[in-house]
Amino acid sequence: MTTEAIAEPRYSSETAIKVRGVQKRFGDKHAVEDVSFDIADGELLVLVGPSGCGKTTTLRMLAGLEPVSDGQIQFGDRVVNEIRPRDRRIAMVFQDYAIFPHLTVFENIAYGLRSRREARKVVKDKVTEAAQTFRIDHLLTRKPRQLSGGERQRVALSRAMVRDAALYLYDEPLSNLDAQLRHQAREDILTLHKNKHRPTVYVTHDQSEAMALGDRIAVMADGRIQQIGTGSDLYERPVSEFVAFFIGTPSINLFDMEIQADGDGAVMVGSGLRLRVHPSMTAAARAHVGQRVRMGVRPEDLHVPRMAPFEVTEENTLHGIVTLIEPTASGCTVYLSTAEGQDFVATFTVRLPNSYLDQEIPLGIDLSKVHLFDADTGASLLKGDIDAVSR
Amino acid sequence: MARIDIDHVVKHYVDDRIVQTNTGRPALDDVSLQVADGETISIVGSSGCGKSTLLKVVAGIEDPDQGRVRYDGVDVTGVRPQERGVGMVFQDYALYPSMKGKGNLAYYFDVHDSSKEEAEQRVRETAERMGVGFDLLLGQVPTTLSGGEQQRVAIARCIVRDPPLFLMDEPICNLDAKLREQTRVEIRKLLRKFKITTLYVTHDQQEAIFMGDRIVVMRDGRIEQVGTFDDLYYTPASRFVATFIGSPPISVLPAAVTDGRLQLAGASWDLPSPVRAAVPDGPVDLAIRPEGWRLDEADGLAVSVRHIERLPTERAAFAYGTVAGRNVTVILPVDHPERDQLTATPDLDRAYFFEPDGERPLHTPGVLELF
Repeated sequence: MTTEAIAEPRYSSETAIKVRGVQKRFGDKHAVEDVSFDIADGELLVLVGPSGCGKTTTLRMLAGLEPVSDGQIQFGDRVVNEIRPRDRRIAMVFQDYAIFPHLTVFENIAYGLRSRREARKVVKDKVTEAAQTFRIDHLLTRKPRQLSGGERQRVALSRAMVRDAALYLYDEPLSNLDAQLRHQAREDILTLHKNKHRPTVYVTHDQSEAMALGDRIAVMADGRIQQIGTGSDLYERPVSEFVAFFIGTPSINLFDMEIQADGDGAVMVGSGLRLRVHPSMTAAARAHVGQRVRMGVRPEDLHVPRMAPFEVTEENTLHGIVTLIEPTASGCTVYLSTAEGQDFVATFTVRLPNSYLDQEIPLGIDLSKVHLFDADTGASLLKGDIDAVSR
Repeated sequence: MARIDIDHVVKHYVDDRIVQTNTGRPALDDVSLQVADGETISIVGSSGCGKSTLLKVVAGIEDPDQGRVRYDGVDVTGVRPQERGVGMVFQDYALYPSMKGKGNLAYYFDVHDSSKEEAEQRVRETAERMGVGFDLLLGQVPTTLSGGEQQRVAIARCIVRDPPLFLMDEPICNLDAKLREQTRVEIRKLLRKFKITTLYVTHDQQEAIFMGDRIVVMRDGRIEQVGTFDDLYYTPASRFVATFIGSPPISVLPAAVTDGRLQLAGASWDLPSPVRAAVPDGPVDLAIRPEGWRLDEADGLAVSVRHIERLPTERAAFAYGTVAGRNVTVILPVDHPERDQLTATPDLDRAYFFEPDGERPLHTPGVLELF
């Protein structure tokens, strides 16, 4: 154990964290390509994406565990690129909790304070208070191996709680926990975050966790940020097919269509469908007449005709054969397949009886809610609206 | 394809100090279960509940100390796993890394001295039945396949042998969330299509609900309840099942019944008559799911809100708060304004009642009539 007292640097906290054009190359492989974002004081930013998207590498560069290949990371107005991890004033909570097996719970929580030679009384008070907050004050004399996974994680949170860090980092902290513990653990993380009110970065592959925790969410893929915004920005106004598909579960349904002019309006033809483009999207659609597009329909925007909040006609109906029905507390998720063999999903707020399995049913598409993407680039064709709304 | 009978199985791990000291109970404590031909049963529970041990006993990897296992009425207890012909899929795909997908599928026939023609034909038939794009996986070695693709090959490798029974232990828990979502749909469709009797072990209740025709909830080496999602959700056999199934979990509040009125935190309401018949006067634990509250009614409880979690993807928000010192979760419209306080009335038609601090339900709501 180190006994050297670590000097805690102070950063001016105007804009808390600035990341500018950061890159990370491993040999000739780009793990992170040109990532930029700011984090305000007290903001919780979630980095979310599939495995290999660069989210963890980005987090490790913020922590100083990986040197950046290019670009700049600023804490306050100070560039920290060359500052060692232990000197950056960061607190991290890992998936495997990273607590010392040979130390007691108390010693684990106190470790950082003691290495900074805090007074004995201060250490004891801070550790006790943090342990009380996370309901482990009765376990202070135990060793980690005597604890459950949830309790170990609360040790890691307590250790972060006693720190006065400039930046709090979480690397998939919930992935080892059972489902029933996750809601409580999320709340514990928010308790810590609200208490510290410091910039925080949280990495996960699980979009529902991102939705539950993030003030803003950055969706990453292929080493780049695809979109950054609030949960509803990403869900309602995705800039690309990738973001639309990644955010939301079950995923958005995608259909290959072609746009055709029709009088003053427009229709979409393809995948065995002929659908009228909603008036709100006619202008955007008419700019792409004759082009192939991908139409995105969220599972909840498919309605049983009798219960649809709009008139269901031939021009907004999709037929599908029911292949699976999954009951949910709020109704059910129905998996269907079109006559052309394309799979799609609908979620209902009522229960569909099992007698509909293998039957064909008609569903009304809420065409005011669909998304249109360029078939080649995946970019949203409704992006004009998006920029107007989210800036 | 087979019917499976698990009959009063008991299994001790003599050497496993953790199991012995923590619970003082066997890993499997008198477990009985009947699985119909072609049925998929999910087995769900926390780590250490015995779910994986049960799978191993059914596979023959572990012998039970007591009890019998039968396939189609034939006692297979003591029969070696390789003679049972069971297909197994685990979280680490365990494909032969040096072989392409096709070699992985054909390996069984190679070691069993089948003719090359037979092996070719079985592999081809299976690939066709596995669906669109599967033949592309056959030409690749496992390291070039994604986790989901490897798992499809692993499943096909079992299907090609035409097993009487499929055993899956957390087959997709190594995949990231999005891939897990896609892969579980694929597995479920394959199981429906091939109608192979399947036991599917997972710690994830949502996955268990999705995969299983019926779901087994295990706890401390025992089966707590077997049933459909509706059975478990609306008529849980115990407080444990009520709190285990449902996300966010059900909230439990100590209350009392006096003259057919429910008293809680200074408020009181008349019990609906079916509840009144089942719940005697005296102390009772009231359990309410997040969707089991009505908002902003005059006779409501004051809920002090700790935080509101907004999930635009689910078109819902959850308020995490406190009533009379107990944690409660209340579902809200996604655009509900930020509040420190809510007024919420428990909907007693959708409420659950348990004997105070006991496991036994006094009344459960049953499936709601929707129409």
